[in-house]
Amino acid sequence: MEQANPLHPDGESKGGVLAHLERLETQVSRSHKQSEELQSMQAQEGALGTKIHKLRRLRDELRAAVWHRRASVKACIANVEPNQTVEINEQEALEEKLENVKAILQAYHFTGLSGKLTSQGVCVCISTAFEGNLLDSYFVDLVIQKPLRIHHHSVPVFIPLEEIAAKYLQTNIQHFLFSLCEYLNAYSGRKYQADRLQSDFAALLTGPLQRNPLCNLLSFTYKLDPGGQSFPFCARLLYKDLTATLPTDVTVTCQGVEASSTSWEEQRASHETLFCTKPLHQVFASFARKGEKLDMSLVS
Amino acid sequence: MDETVAEFIKRTILKIPMNELTTILKAWDFLSENQLQTVNFRQRKESVVQHLIHLCEEKRASISDAALLDIIYMQFHQHQKVWDVFQMSKGPGEDVDLFDMKQFKNSFKKILQRALKNVTVSFRETEENAVWIRIAWGTQYTKPNQYKPTYVVYYSQTPYAFTSSSMLRRNTPLLGQALTIASKHHQIVKMDLRSRYLDSLKAIVFKQYNQTYETHNSTTPLQERSLGLDINLETKFKSGLNGSILAEREEPLRCLIKFSSPHLLEALKSLAPAGIADAPLSPLLTCIPNKRMNYFKIRDK
Repeated sequence: MEQANPLHPDGESKGGVLAHLERLETQVSRSHKQSEELQSMQAQEGALGTKIHKLRRLRDELRAAVWHRRASVKACIANVEPNQTVEINEQEALEEKLENVKAILQAYHFTGLSGKLTSQGVCVCISTAFEGNLLDSYFVDLVIQKPLRIHHHSVPVFIPLEEIAAKYLQTNIQHFLFSLCEYLNAYSGRKYQADRLQSDFAALLTGPLQRNPLCNLLSFTYKLDPGGQSFPFCARLLYKDLTATLPTDVTVTCQGVEASSTSWEEQRASHETLFCTKPLHQVFASFARKGEKLDMSLVS
Repeated sequence: MDETVAEFIKRTILKIPMNELTTILKAWDFLSENQLQTVNFRQRKESVVQHLIHLCEEKRASISDAALLDIIYMQFHQHQKVWDVFQMSKGPGEDVDLFDMKQFKNSFKKILQRALKNVTVSFRETEENAVWIRIAWGTQYTKPNQYKPTYVVYYSQTPYAFTSSSMLRRNTPLLGQALTIASKHHQIVKMDLRSRYLDSLKAIVFKQYNQTYETHNSTTPLQERSLGLDINLETKFKSGLNGSILAEREEPLRCLIKFSSPHLLEALKSLAPAGIADAPLSPLLTCIPNKRMNYFKIRDK
């Protein structure tokens, strides 16, 4: 088609019709577009609509599921609660058993001899006691090799551990342990008596207590009546049996004028017997009681 | 107060570091509290010493007082000496050891005095059932030399005594005799064990472990104590290299190899992993706690 210039006088009428046609064409295409757009928008709207439907459905399903769950859990709890308490009881029972076993193991300590396995052997613990009083504990760490060996120990250096080990360790370990127990318990007992004498009856002693590491030689001076008596008694206690807590030899002397008199001699002899037969602190306890009786008699 | 005593006390006090002075003087317990309070310890050391000597003169210090001060100084400075270990033994079927400290001291002193006439013997007991003995040696004709004493630490009712290595070696047999007889033993033997650190020697000899026993719940293993020891090897020099002057001699060179460390056993354990020594390490280097030796003589096979 000829291009029409609307301002040209010749193509005026043609321009007019063509232009009109053109205008109508664009109108149509515009309206097509618009209807396309409208359609696509409608389609989109439709799609979104379906999506909304789907989501709503999903929400409802989930809600229903949650309800269902809750209901069933409630029912479960109602059913399961008695079982759960049973579990708790079992756990408590086990813990109780464990505590019992631990207590038993600790109690073994009180039998005097206990032990535990180590990476290299066994560590034996000897707990000493005297007259129902629990005293010091000592341990011996044994390495199980050939020959059986003592790795570490806390036995005091003056206890003849090496001698006892030389005699029994390789051949009869039970004998070794019991022998060591004997020595340690006896040493603990002698030490206990000496300590008690120093701490509880210092008032009756007229000088320091002489003692040696094994507490198997004790030497002291004492007065029954610290105020009245002029000369003290001198006592010398020898414990030649290292597995015993009573002395094997006792000598009591008394210097001074009174020594020759029979009453003092009787006293001296009776003291010797006392020291031989009763633990040291008990002898002094009886001295203290007699002293009290004397005081009472003076008052009345 | 004797001039020699004054001089000896002066030299002893001069050795004491200022920060230890009051502690040691208190342990000595010779000068009274009142006397000590009159001393201005912030002065120059010479002035402090002068004042202290004056106080000692006032109290008429004797040689035994001076000797006691010397023992206390040595107790605080044990590592200044090298200590040997002696082990005593009783005869078979011997009586139980009824150790009497008084008897021991008297007997020990008497034996030395009978032999030498001029000797100063002093004792100081410790809480650990040990007694420190100081011996200043003289002869029949000369007074005791207070500046070269021997110290002995004896653990009563055990077979062990530790002595400071003395330059006066001729007195060692007499010392051994005195120790043995006074403690009622039969024999005395010097162990191949020596060190500056008494604690290390005690750990080896007594195999003691001071920690309290843990309860059944504890699973930690007992650890080796760190031992500040030396290992001494007496040996002859042999060299793998050809043409070594030291090895190719008519008589191979005798030498003493000394391994020294504050934590010797740990250091030795690390030699093999570090590639310095072949594993396993020679038992000579690891047997110290078991064999209780740290002085070895290697002889030719």
